Amino acid sequence: MSVANESHQEAQNMEHHGSGRYWLVWAALLVLTLVTVITGRMHIPNFALAVALLIATVKGTLVLLFFMHLIDHKGANRLVMAVSVLFVLMMLAMPMADFATRFRPANPAGSHLSDLPDLNFLEGKTGAHGSTGGAHGAGGHEAPSGGHEAPSPSGH
Amino acid sequence: MSSSAHTAVATPGVPRLAQHFASLEVQNHAARLGMWLFLSTEILLFAGLFVCYGCYRYLFPEAFAAASRHLDLTMGTVNTVVLITSSLTAALAVHYAKEGKSNLVALMFGLTIAMACAFLVIKGFEYSHKFEEGALPGPYYRMQAVQLPGVPLYFTIYFLATGLHAFHVIIGMSVLVWLMIKAIRERNFGPNNYTAVELGSMYWHLVDLVWIFLFPLLYLI
Repeated sequence: MSVANESHQEAQNMEHHGSGRYWLVWAALLVLTLVTVITGRMHIPNFALAVALLIATVKGTLVLLFFMHLIDHKGANRLVMAVSVLFVLMMLAMPMADFATRFRPANPAGSHLSDLPDLNFLEGKTGAHGSTGGAHGAGGHEAPSGGHEAPSPSGH
Repeated sequence: MSSSAHTAVATPGVPRLAQHFASLEVQNHAARLGMWLFLSTEILLFAGLFVCYGCYRYLFPEAFAAASRHLDLTMGTVNTVVLITSSLTAALAVHYAKEGKSNLVALMFGLTIAMACAFLVIKGFEYSHKFEEGALPGPYYRMQAVQLPGVPLYFTIYFLATGLHAFHVIIGMSVLVWLMIKAIRERNFGPNNYTAVELGSMYWHLVDLVWIFLFPLLYLI
């Protein structure tokens, strides 16, 4: 009756804890949100994405373990979560590895892995046209008139 | 056998022990495992969009950085705080359900639903602002301020990811409304009858979990 024993163990783990740990996790999540907003606004070169993902992973782990009780649910429940995280990482890694190792002309035009310009944004790489257009737009044109101007830079 | 100590009493509203389970504990264990399996499929559903994000961000890093600075960080941060707090009240609902305090369960879910509404309203303001600016997906993109290849793709991913998330918020709200009504009408949640509350609240935490990753990726990078 190992299944029944495991279920009994889980039922015991799920037995009453105080509500204190939920409040603690909530406070930690708010502090981490503040930290991620501050570090995000600093726009740290090279490491911004790594820092943001690290903080998000810590927050996500707190939610999984304490709010969703994965710390009390053992065995197969954890296996399911671990496998789904593994599959997410594999799904991310493989297409990105594909883009990284492609024959250059096969990458989307306009990207930094391609030598071809994006025909929708011919002046886009320099940004000169786009930024003057933006200044005009901010200078008093309403959004609809901006919409009328849009086809001229993007249409050629 | 001590593990089957809980006997199934035929109380209205309390789930009965199905014949194929050895005990109520085993039945609850199976219910939780089923919920985790369902949540893992939800995670993989969102993973598709995260993969799109990862690939196109890798291809168009400057465009994604420029476009993300065009989102309203204040509204995004307020929404994050609202969603995290709603997750707290959902967790507290499980806590009170175990204690058999059905009134507090209903109150906690009521607060969660109110915060979910606030989240959607703020999201709606953000969307209408994006519509006015012309920061729209694909061929509908007409925001003059940022003209870079890849920016329309960023807004495609932005609308798909936040839209799918908002759809999950709505589904989660419906589940919580059902649980709140159940708590008010039946008043019989207790240490042996809280699986519905627990699983509904797990769904809500998943919605929070997805937002925890969407927020920095869309707003802060």
